[in-house]
Amino acid sequence: MTEPERRATNRFRMLLRLLPAEFRGDFGPEMEQVFVAQREEAAREGGKMGIWRLWWETAKGIFTAAPREHLSMLRQDSAFALRMMRKNLGFTIAAIIVLGLGIGANTAIFSVVNAVLLKPLPYEHGERLLMLRERLSRSAPAGRNVSVPEMLDYRRQNRSLDAIVEYHNMQFILLGRAEPEQVETGVVSWNFFDVFGAKPLLGRNFAPEDEKEGAPAVLLLSYEYWLRSFGGDPIVIGKVFRMNDKPHTVIGVLPPFPQYPHENDVYMPSSACPFRSGTHMIANRQMRMLRLFARMKPGTRSTEAEADLSTVAAAMQKEFPNDYPDDAQPGVEATPLKAELTRDAKPTMLFLLAAAGFVLLIACANVANLNLARMVRRERELGVRTAMGASRVRLFRQLVTESSLLALLGGALGLLLANGGLHLLSAYVARFTPRAREVHIDLVVLLFTLGVVLFVSVLTGTAPAVARRENLITTLKEGGSQSTLGFVRGRLRSALIVAQVAVSFLLLIGAGLTVRSLINLQRVDPGFRPDNVLTVQFSLDFSRYTTNEKTLAFWESLLQKVQSLPGVTAVAAAGDFPLDKSPAFSNQFLIEGHQGDSTDAKPTAELNVITPEYLSVLGIPLFSGRNFIQHDHPESPKVALINQSTAQRYWRNEDPVGRRISFDNGKTWTQIIGVIGDVHEHGLDVPANDFIYLPFTQYPQNGPALMARTQGDPMAVARAVVQRLYEVDPNQPAGRIQSLEQYRADSIAAPRLTANLLGLFALLALAIAAAGIGGVMALAVSQRTHEIGVRMAIGARPAEIVRMILSQGMGLALVGVAIGVAAAFALTRAVKSLLFGVTPSDPATFLAVAAVLAAAALAACYLPARRAAKVDPLRALRAE
Amino acid sequence: MAPKTSVPESNPPLTPAMFHVLLALAGDDLHGYAILKEVELRTDGEVKLSTGTLYGIIKRLLNDGLIVERRERPAAHDDERRRYYRLTPQGREVAAAEAARLEKVVAIARARRLLKKAQPA
Repeated sequence: MTEPERRATNRFRMLLRLLPAEFRGDFGPEMEQVFVAQREEAAREGGKMGIWRLWWETAKGIFTAAPREHLSMLRQDSAFALRMMRKNLGFTIAAIIVLGLGIGANTAIFSVVNAVLLKPLPYEHGERLLMLRERLSRSAPAGRNVSVPEMLDYRRQNRSLDAIVEYHNMQFILLGRAEPEQVETGVVSWNFFDVFGAKPLLGRNFAPEDEKEGAPAVLLLSYEYWLRSFGGDPIVIGKVFRMNDKPHTVIGVLPPFPQYPHENDVYMPSSACPFRSGTHMIANRQMRMLRLFARMKPGTRSTEAEADLSTVAAAMQKEFPNDYPDDAQPGVEATPLKAELTRDAKPTMLFLLAAAGFVLLIACANVANLNLARMVRRERELGVRTAMGASRVRLFRQLVTESSLLALLGGALGLLLANGGLHLLSAYVARFTPRAREVHIDLVVLLFTLGVVLFVSVLTGTAPAVARRENLITTLKEGGSQSTLGFVRGRLRSALIVAQVAVSFLLLIGAGLTVRSLINLQRVDPGFRPDNVLTVQFSLDFSRYTTNEKTLAFWESLLQKVQSLPGVTAVAAAGDFPLDKSPAFSNQFLIEGHQGDSTDAKPTAELNVITPEYLSVLGIPLFSGRNFIQHDHPESPKVALINQSTAQRYWRNEDPVGRRISFDNGKTWTQIIGVIGDVHEHGLDVPANDFIYLPFTQYPQNGPALMARTQGDPMAVARAVVQRLYEVDPNQPAGRIQSLEQYRADSIAAPRLTANLLGLFALLALAIAAAGIGGVMALAVSQRTHEIGVRMAIGARPAEIVRMILSQGMGLALVGVAIGVAAAFALTRAVKSLLFGVTPSDPATFLAVAAVLAAAALAACYLPARRAAKVDPLRALRAE
Repeated sequence: MAPKTSVPESNPPLTPAMFHVLLALAGDDLHGYAILKEVELRTDGEVKLSTGTLYGIIKRLLNDGLIVERRERPAAHDDERRRYYRLTPQGREVAAAEAARLEKVVAIARARRLLKKAQPA
């Protein structure tokens, strides 16, 4: 062969690679020979041009033939695979269900991760949006809100931002519908929605004139409120409602988008809020009621914005030293909005995704094992096909086609399962993030599922196929179904079992730790008795209750009426009640006699304002001193109760009762009259804060709650309580009405659901792994029937046979548990933040899980072991 | 399948290229390159099969049992990569049936005066 000929042949061979290997095997050499002949002729008759033409025609031919041949091969393989699957219906169904559960779990969790963590925020330029908080020093953990003068400074002096917009939330009373209605109101800058890129669905957005002082008051409705209260009727635009003693005109309806930080019913420009527009609020740097959102200039990083704004904060401190404590080092924290919105969801969702991934791995290992087991029975068929000339590649392809079909069917089932469970899942996710509404199965999720299917088919199909390759020759030599497990395959099957057990162990540990956390949470003594307490939240209409006398008169009348209701044993009013999700507001105070030593940070505590019955309604104990009484009226000396942790922090070795504190730098003094028990105000997993309680009569509140202790179900008296409210003031709507027990349940609903989901995953894993062990041992027994027969023939007792089989199975399980323990020690540290009251390597959980797994493995091995013990030695030997 | 005829038909029906391959083998047993040449010759160079197309067709025809590979080789010095194909009786029937079908089609075309007159064979 000449050099050009050789090169041409090589090129032709490369072209042939496009064709299926089997086709190439059948016809490749012949085609090569034909091509060489063609090339000779072309060169002879057409010279260079002839050769070019030949190449062109040949390439065209192979490019059209290749897809056709591949497709026809796939059709053949699939038809054969379907026949095989129908023949082994039990295996097929088991595999599809196992894979469907695994793929379904992953699809469902991934659809959440995709919607909440991966997708960009559904706001225009969402990646440039920030949430701003002030912090007093680098060490102070929690950021705080911002005052109006501060916001104006940030706006004027920053260099990194396009816009800063303000937000705060109020409960106002909306009049003009059939009943007075308490509406959650977002009070915002006129360009708030421009910054978020939300264009009104109907009507118009706020304009700069709307925020001018004295402008006619206007409202935007949230999409949800519009649907809920107006049935989605566009006629609402232009309607006028009374709010805060002023007419408010509805100018538009917002589109559906995640509202943060609150789900509001209506929005108004900042000038329309009577509190925000008060001169006191506008002028005072320390009245920090605003949350700030900002949009960075393109190309700016959040750290740059943070540094920029912190410079502004430092300048403010220099200019207004009286408004900032000496020890403070003011700075600004700029959190990307996406991180802010998903902060609570992220660790849990990633944990669940990992758990779902583990379930899938177990499912794959299980199906791979089933495949291997089936392969033993199919050795004959595959052996014969090999002998008849089917190439290895062909058989490999056949096996992979079968597993791909299984994976595809499993994937279809998984999608159905995921789709079915999705609304439950998104209700669960809503407890973590306002992005829950975005959860659905979209193209990205479908592609993910397809990827999982591919992964599954490779994992479940390749292992048996590879193991087969090693075994081809021995099979034919040994001739069929009685052949012992091939060495490689036996080892592979054992490894798969060990892996299943180890991963199950991990999942069970994850579930065990979250369940223990949940139990610990439920066992937390909240410091109050949540049972049989009704709570009614509402805000008194401040435009009518303008004086303390009016407010007190209202409350006196209402409390009396509710107290006289049958079934109500005690009733109280308070500014806050435990677990109501009200934010923590710390107040500084002075301790009489300790003003001088101000080297430490000033004492701070949260405040609540209560009526005397608050203690008896909530069952909070009084440890020393006395409770409030009727005589603690507005004109009498100011008094306060403190909780135990405050007493211990500031009066460690003394009796605080009788001591005095001041909230106004010593201008007026308040006497401590008693110490009461600690209460978990902000969540069962949050330690009790320092609290100071002030008497309602001395500090009447417009935004309080009513609490009633009842004899039976508290919700049974809810209606009567609201009626009494209308009797006292027909224009005063009630807000949220709920039992305190419900608040407690809600506060641990998220961890409970997480524990449930993980428990479900872990049980699934346990069941699959146990079935896997059982299946492998059953196969081992049936393959060793002959050996067992021999052993029994030479005198082995059934109990010995049972022990032999059990020890083989348990050996695998124990290796799996050992690996699982090691992996769990390494991995559970990552979920520490999700646990409560239990360490990631909690010995009790580890022991319990190991015991459960071992028991499951033992149970799974027992059936095959018993079957082994019943082997009739005569029949076993004769069968050979 | 047409109910009244016992003539075997390939399913799906023959493509023109497949028919040409059958026609080429209706004479002699040929190897691949010879089939290409024969088809080209018989059609005055109008039908030129590429190797890819040819062996796609050979595979189909082998699978359908219309051709077989001949066992014996013509000469000792022949290139051993060469394989010779022979029309099976079934293949011959299918080719004949296809020819008959085409003849009928031609007759119709003639009746409609799309063709002038019969060409001498």
